[in-house]
This record gives sequence, C-alpha cells and structure tokens, in this order.
Amino acid sequence: MDIGFVKRVIFTSIGRKFVMAVTGLALGAFMLVHLAENLLLFYGEKAYNGWVDLLLSNPFIIYAELGLAAVFLLHIVTAVWVRWEDWRNAPAGYEERRWQGGRTIGSATMLYTAAAILAYLVYHLVDFRFADHSMGFYAMVTGAFRDPVFVGVYIAGSLALALHLSHGMQSAFQTLGVNHPKYTPFIKLGGLLVALTMAGFAMISVYFLLELDQKKVEHHYQVAATEAR
Amino acid sequence: MKLDARIPAGPIEKKWDKHRFDLKLVNPSNKRRFDIIVVGSGLAGAGAAASLGELGYNVKVFTMHDSPRRAHSIAAQGGINAAKNYPNDGDSVWRLFHDTVKGGDYRAREANVYRLAQVSNGIIDHCVALGVPFAREYGGLLANRSFGGAQLSRTFYARGQTGQQLLLGAYSAMMRQVAAGTVKVFPRREMTELVIKDGRARGIIARDLVTGKLESHAGHAVLLCTGGYANVFYLSTNAATCNVSAAWAAYRKGAGFANPCFTQIHPTCIPRSGDHQSKLTLMSESLRNDGRVWVPRNRGDRRSPGSIPEEERDYFLERRYPAFGNLVPRDIASRAAKTEVDAGKGVGPTGQSVYLDFRDSIARKGEDKIRAEYGNLFDMYHQITDENGYRTPMRIYPAPHYTMGGLWVDYDLMTTVPGLFALGEANFSDHGANRLGASALMQGLADGFFVIPYTLGGYLAGNRLEAAADSDPEFRRAADESGLKFKRLLSVKGKKTPSEFHRRLGEVMWNECGMARNEAALKRALVKIPEIREEFRENLAVGGGAEELNQTLERAGKVADFLDFAELLVRDALERRESCGGHFREESCTPEGEAKRDDAGFSHAAVWEHAGEGKAPLLNKEALTFEHIKPSERSYK
Amino acid sequence: MSEKKFGVTVRVWRQAGPGEKGRMESYEVKGVDPDMSFLEMLDVLNEDLVRRGETPIAFDSDCREGICGCCGLVVNGDVHGPDEHSTVCQLHMRRFKDGDVITVEPWRVKSFPVLKDLVVDRSSLDRIMAAGGYVSVDTGAAPDANSVPVDKDDAEEAMDAAACIGCGACVAACPNGAAMLFTGAKISQLALLPQGGPEKAKRALDMVEAMDAEGFGNCTNEYECEAVCPKEVKVANIARMNREFLLANFLSKR
Repeated sequence: MDIGFVKRVIFTSIGRKFVMAVTGLALGAFMLVHLAENLLLFYGEKAYNGWVDLLLSNPFIIYAELGLAAVFLLHIVTAVWVRWEDWRNAPAGYEERRWQGGRTIGSATMLYTAAAILAYLVYHLVDFRFADHSMGFYAMVTGAFRDPVFVGVYIAGSLALALHLSHGMQSAFQTLGVNHPKYTPFIKLGGLLVALTMAGFAMISVYFLLELDQKKVEHHYQVAATEAR
Repeated sequence: MKLDARIPAGPIEKKWDKHRFDLKLVNPSNKRRFDIIVVGSGLAGAGAAASLGELGYNVKVFTMHDSPRRAHSIAAQGGINAAKNYPNDGDSVWRLFHDTVKGGDYRAREANVYRLAQVSNGIIDHCVALGVPFAREYGGLLANRSFGGAQLSRTFYARGQTGQQLLLGAYSAMMRQVAAGTVKVFPRREMTELVIKDGRARGIIARDLVTGKLESHAGHAVLLCTGGYANVFYLSTNAATCNVSAAWAAYRKGAGFANPCFTQIHPTCIPRSGDHQSKLTLMSESLRNDGRVWVPRNRGDRRSPGSIPEEERDYFLERRYPAFGNLVPRDIASRAAKTEVDAGKGVGPTGQSVYLDFRDSIARKGEDKIRAEYGNLFDMYHQITDENGYRTPMRIYPAPHYTMGGLWVDYDLMTTVPGLFALGEANFSDHGANRLGASALMQGLADGFFVIPYTLGGYLAGNRLEAAADSDPEFRRAADESGLKFKRLLSVKGKKTPSEFHRRLGEVMWNECGMARNEAALKRALVKIPEIREEFRENLAVGGGAEELNQTLERAGKVADFLDFAELLVRDALERRESCGGHFREESCTPEGEAKRDDAGFSHAAVWEHAGEGKAPLLNKEALTFEHIKPSERSYK
Repeated sequence: MSEKKFGVTVRVWRQAGPGEKGRMESYEVKGVDPDMSFLEMLDVLNEDLVRRGETPIAFDSDCREGICGCCGLVVNGDVHGPDEHSTVCQLHMRRFKDGDVITVEPWRVKSFPVLKDLVVDRSSLDRIMAAGGYVSVDTGAAPDANSVPVDKDDAEEAMDAAACIGCGACVAACPNGAAMLFTGAKISQLALLPQGGPEKAKRALDMVEAMDAEGFGNCTNEYECEAVCPKEVKVANIARMNREFLLANFLSKR
C-alpha cells in the first residue's frame, strides 16, 4: 500500500492548496444552504421552527455537524500552514514596494477576514448553537436580531465573509486547475455573486432589527381581514 | 602553421557519411572517463553539452552568466533555415548549400557548408521533439516563411523569438543531462586562459566571477562556443558581455584566427541617441518589406520629415537597385545608407540615420494591417525613441551584428591546436564573407548537436592522451599568467574607465574599419589602436580587488583583449584588397561603386598566427576551391 | 527627442557580499539625458564612481533588449520599474524628471540570495528546470518534424508560456515569494505539446517537488506575478500546473 499520493497532498504546496480549495468550496456551499435556511425566517415562526425540528429529528445530524467541523478545521489548519510558509518565504526588506495590479482588497485581506470570520463563528456558536433553545429557535434568533450590538457583529461577520469569498471562490477554482479562457470570466463573476449573496445574512438581521416583520404581520392581518370581508 | 582542413575524399554528398564511418568510436563504457570542457552555453555550447552528455561523456560547461539560459543566442529574432522543402517550393540540401556558398560571396569551405545543409533538417526534427513551439499552420504542421531576401520559404520561426526558443530547447536538453549527472554547469565563470600540455589543449583557467578566484579545470578536450566579436565596435547589437577573450586566449596559445575582417553590419537598427549609448537594438529586417528607405535630396535639410515634399525625397535603394529596391541584401543596404549619411544627407539629431517610412504602406494597406504585422517592432521603436513610427518615419542606421570570421577549424571543427575545438559563431567555417539571415541559429545547433558528437569521438579514440590533472605545472603557470593580467589591470590606477577606452576603440573601428574600408583609413587605424592601447596601459581606472565580484575588472579584461584583437582585424582588412561580402574595400569596386571580388588574388581564408608578444602576426592561407558552385558576381541591380 | 538634461538622486542598495549587512546609499547623477535607458544612467553613475576611486554598483544586465532575463531591479517600489510588462533595461529616463529621488533595490527573495549590491543568485530556477523542464529525447532519435501535427491554438498557447525569460520578477513581486508562474509556464508549455505528453505526470510531480525544496512560497492566487511579468505570461499556466499536478498525483501510476 503506497500512500505517497496522500503524503503529496499533505506535504506539497499544491497539495495543501488543494485541501484548502476543496474545503473552501464545501464551506461556501454550506453557507449558501445556511442562507437558504435563514431565509425561512421571512416565512414566520411556523415555517422556520418546522424546518429546524425536521433537521433535529434526523439522528445523523450530529455526524453532519462533526463533518462540517472537520471541514472547517482542515480549511483552517491548511491555511495556517500555507500562510506560515508564505510568511517565512515572502520577499522581505523592500524599502519601497507597490502592488502592481494583481492584488484586490479581497485577496490582500484574506488573513484578516479569516480571523474575523473565525471570531464571529465562535460568537455565533456560543450565542445560537450552544445557547438555551427552550424558547424555540425562531424566538431565539429573532430575539437576538432585535439587539443592535448583536446585529452589528452579525453585519461585520457577513461583510468579512463576503470579502473573503470575493477572492476565495475564484481562487479555489484556480487552485483546482480550472482556468479556461471561456469559462473563467464566468467563474470570477459567479464567485463575486456568491460573495454578494452573503450580504443576505446581514439583510435578514437588519430586517428584524428594524422590526419590518411586525409591519409585515400587521399588513398580513389587514390583507386577511379584507379577504374575510 | 600547417593548415590541413582534412576534408574527406569522395563526392560531396557522401563526404560526411563516409567520414562518420571512418571516424574511430569511443567504447561506450569508456566515455565517462573523458572530461570535456565546454566554454559557453549558447546554441553551440548547450547543444554540444547536451549531445555529449547523452553519449555518456563527462561534460563541464562554463558560462559567464548567472544561468546558461542567458547566452546571446537568445536574442536572435528571425528564424532558422532548413532544407525541409515543406512548402514544396523547390528547396533541397543542394539548394541550401548553393545559397549559403553564394550568399557568403564564395569565401566559405564547400564541404563544411554542404554538411551544414545536410544536417539542417535533423535540427528541426530534434527541436520539435524537444518541445520548441515553432509557428504552425491550422492543419497542425509547421509554418515556413521567406527570410532575408531568400527566394524560398525555408525559415522556421517562433514568433520574433526564434533564438530564445531554440536556446531554451538546447538548454533544457542540457539541464536533462545535468539531472542525469553527465553535465555539470559552472555559472558565473569566465575562461581566462587555455592550458596546453604536450601540444594539446587540456584544460582552462576560469575566474569565478563572484569570488574572483582562479580555478583550474583539466579535461581531454576543450570546446570553445564563445560567440562572435562584434563588440570590438563597442556599439553593436550584441549583448554587453559578448567578447573575444576566450578566442583570443586560444589564438595566443597557437590557434589560427581566420578572416577576422569578415563582419556583418545589419541595416535596420535603431540609431544611437547620444554618448551614453551602451548598445544598439536591432529591428527585424522584415520591416523593409513595407517600409521605404529615404533621405532628403538636399544635404543639410533639417525640416521635419512630414514637411519634405515628395520630389525632394531620395528613395536611394529604389533608385540604385530598381530590381530589388528596399529588399537588397544586408551588406548592400547598409553601405548605401552610409553613402548617403557620408554625403551629409543623414537625418535625426545626430545626422547618423536614414528614414524608414511606412506612410505609403499605411495608405495602401491601412494602419491596422501594418500594426498586425509589425506592431511589436513599432512598440519597441516607440519605447526606445519615444517616437510614433505610424505618424512619422522611423529612423534607422546600420550596426555591427554578427562576425563571420573566427577561429580556424578543420572539417572536424578542430582548431590548429589539437584537442581545441571551436563551434558556432566562434569559428569561421560556414558563412564565408557574409551570413544569410536565419543561418546563424542553424550553424550553432548543427555544430553542437550533429557534428561535434562524431568528430570529438574520433579525436578521443584516435589519439593517445596522457593523463592531465589540474595540479599539473602547466595549469599553475597559466593560472599565474591570468592572475598577473588582472593584477596589472588593477595596478594602473589611472583616470579613465574601461568603457571610455572601449568607446574610443569602437569609434576608430567604426570610422576606419566599418562598412567601407580603404587603405589609408586602415593604416590610420593601425596607428590609432596602439595609441589607445598605450594609454589604456597607463591611465586605466578599475578600482576594487581581484578576489571579489568586480564587474569593472571583468570589463577591463575584455577591453584589453579587444584592443589587441582590433589590430589583427584591421591588419586582415588591410591585407584583403578585394571587396567581398561584409568586407568592402573602396579600392575594389566596379565603376558604379559596387563591390568587386578578386577571386584570382583572394580566394582563400586568411589565417593569422600568433608570433609572440609584440611581434607581427603571421599570415597563412587556406586556398578555397569551388568544385560545385562556380563563383559568379552578385548583382542586385 | 533630446530635451534638456537633468539631475536625479539615486538611492541604491549596497551590500558588499553574500550574507553581509547592506544599506541604502544616495548618489547624485547629473547630465541625465531623457533618451538614456535607466541602466545607462546607472552606467554613467558607475563610471563616475570608478573615476572617483569608489566602488561601482554591481548589477546584472546583458542583452539590454528585454530577452536575456539578466536584469531585474525594483525601482521606486515597482518590480522592473514603472513601465507595464517590460524589463528594467527597457525603462528610459524620460519617465523621470529633474530632482527625482529614485529608489533602486534588488529582488529581495529568500531563494535569490544577494551576491553583491543589486546582483542576486537565481540558480534555484535552474535547479527547478533540471528537475523536469525538458522532453527526454536524445539527439538524433526524433521522427520527422511534421509527423505529429499540433493544434495551432495549443502551439500558440505553448509559445505564450515559453516566452518566459526566467528573470525572477514573478517571484520578486509575489507577496509570498512563490515561483509558481515560472514553474507553471514550463510545465504548461510542455503539457500543451504532444511531444511533452509521455512524461507530463512525472514532470509535474518532480518540478513541483523541486520548487518546494528550493524554499519558494505558496501561491495565494493574487496574480501580482502576471501583473509584472515582462513577457505577459498568464496565471492560466499556474492553473494548468495545478491540474497537471493533481491529475498526476491522483490518476497516474506514480
């Protein structure tokens, strides 16, 4: 049994980047699903809690969570490794150095947005995942969204995520060797769209902060009342 | 000096085959016991190192650059010739042979040229196999173009970077042998001396350009692949470090130097802009396909080109050579430009250039077409001169470009020193008095890939070589000589830099021994060069030490050799009282002022022999016989 | 055309030898001609230094027409100077004006140690090439050049990659000091051509391994390399290298 090919994944530059890219894409996909779930908040308590209950009724959900945690961990470990090596090998000592057109805000801030996302993730897990769920998930989430401090943190987290993905999505494709004169422009555009979509998280929290849901409920009742007449 | 070209007997088509059979072979298991020293890593050097490494020889390659991939072969633009006849336009080995001999103005050795044409096809095959990305047609087969006024499309090319791609191909083949352990590359080394033991070349002294230390390297044969000496003119299209030093060291140790006066001047170069100029940049001569060359009809006309009316312009190439017009061969176009400039009709701030005008082509074909075809050249011209060639005519002037002369070699590429071989531009053998476009790359690779692997084996197997080690007294003596040379250069402590002397030498060479030469000017040069040399010895400023990275010292060493060599070049030019190829003697021309060869007097290679320091060199002659191609007059009227 | 001559101040990295401590030093250069190239301006300064008995500034350059790959300086923070996609030997002084202070530094890359002043050792790139940047074919063994047709588009793309001059600017410009564009260009060129096909798996694995061993950084896909490359070699070549490497690792027998 020759495990040379596994070793290459771990111990070569491209191998580690491969792991980063695959886990990064998986995490991006997870975020999209997560956002879709969050959008259920717009449909009210019944719809949201119904979905959460359905999820939690699945006995395997814990393994999915562990798997997700493993993907996160792999992404972080390989990133730290890659960055540590880069830090050691980076050109150092230039008296003056200007970037000449390759870098973007997203690419130049990957490390910082990563740190912000990680910090946010911890906050998020403490507040939601390991919080008291007795009042029901809908009430817990929307309750938190009425707190301006929480929403501020939430918005910052989504922006960091958006910035991270603005570079990360297309970068993952490049690392996996997907670069084609015809398709790469679409991949880059798609990556930006996915990044933009992450603003959806922020929008949901702002929606509840501004109590737009109350107005919607009122409106809903008005409509119902009119129809009943 | 005994000059035996050792041309194999038999019909010319069979000579190389027969010779390859006659050459003795080195037993495969013995090859690794032979140490081969290759100086230079251009097409010839890298090609030789790769092919010899493949055979199993133990090869040491020396390059003065930081990497073997930097050799000046890399700058060749146009292409490489071969007799493939892919376009079905009538090419053949015989025709390539014929064109090369004729293009060389009947001053090359027939047998060598025939062999060159014979192996030319193998070069293309091998380079394609090495992954050289030659231009192709949509069907996937190789593209050809006509180049340098050839009547056929026999030139293979990789955009405007054919030299680069071929060199990187040869370099990659060599690096494969580095990985295999048969070739060892010594970068940032400059050969300073040739070491002779028992009458044979047995090694070199090389200076480590980083530490300044002198190293001895012993071997069973030495291959000089060190390029040409066009930098004797100071300003040329050659790279800054191209030099004659290795060839000159060989000459001083007994290698004959053949036809040093055969130098090629390229007509379409960007003119110099001032005294600070360090090199001249070549623009592909394909520009002459669409550009019209002209000067103002009246001397001293300083008006801007756009305001000079048609009737006051002199399209001198079209006027003088109606049949070929702007497409006359390099030497003729160059001399014609000089004639106009000398008559005071030159243009530009220095008055040392002529116009190359695309106005009519742009009007006829449209700027887009011209841009598609020559865009990169116009960009390059703009980058250097800050002028827009689409709006105002380009300014061009001829510049030294290639040297046909070099170390004399026999059919086996061996010099007059046994065990010392010269390959590529460093030797004299194939181009006669004038080289055709796209033939330099062909010759470098032919010598390196296809000739030396056979002939070197013949030498090694056919001679009993005593042991030689870098601890031998011959090496110590040679190293001492080298050390002394650098010590002398450092000890002058004068006021003028090596470049100042080089610039002065270049001026003398360009003015007195440039595109047109005459006895009086050459004799003036023979007075002026020793004067410069004298002052060089008394007033040179170098600075720094010998045992460190010292680029001024490197330059001083090269200039010192150029100062010695220049005299030999001028002497050769003086001796050759005929016009042929790149060598134009004003005394030898037709009533219309065209070059006139003197076959009765000068159908020979002039081979110069070192007679000792301070003594006049001795002239030997290798008679050239033309059995297959009868010399005729070149006419482009 | 020749305008008025002017003067500049050059701040240059001076370092006596490998591993020694260096520092920036300032020099005045007078009589600068706008038509001069940047390196010719340094030549003029050096000649002055030699005449004054001072040590001239060591820097590499050879062909001075942008093809040999010898030269490479960081000028005012720009790799190869302010002109886009050009080598520093093609930079001209008309880009500057009287009184300018120009900062000149070497490639500052761990894998390119400084030998003296602005001269660096790029032999690490040669070692990457020796690891597999070739087609293993012996002289004389090749079939007729036209026996294998090559898609013209592939040949053109291979040529785009092969245009690399090995100057090391991509490494000097990379935030991580990676040599991916250099290595990717060679792997890509030979992977695109059928001649390079038979050993492309081995080549990709060996060259990447050699690249890593030389201590170059990882690629974070920021594309600064592409932005400075004098020959406009594209990062699509890095993607192709990644692809070749991953395919070789997971699908080949190696």
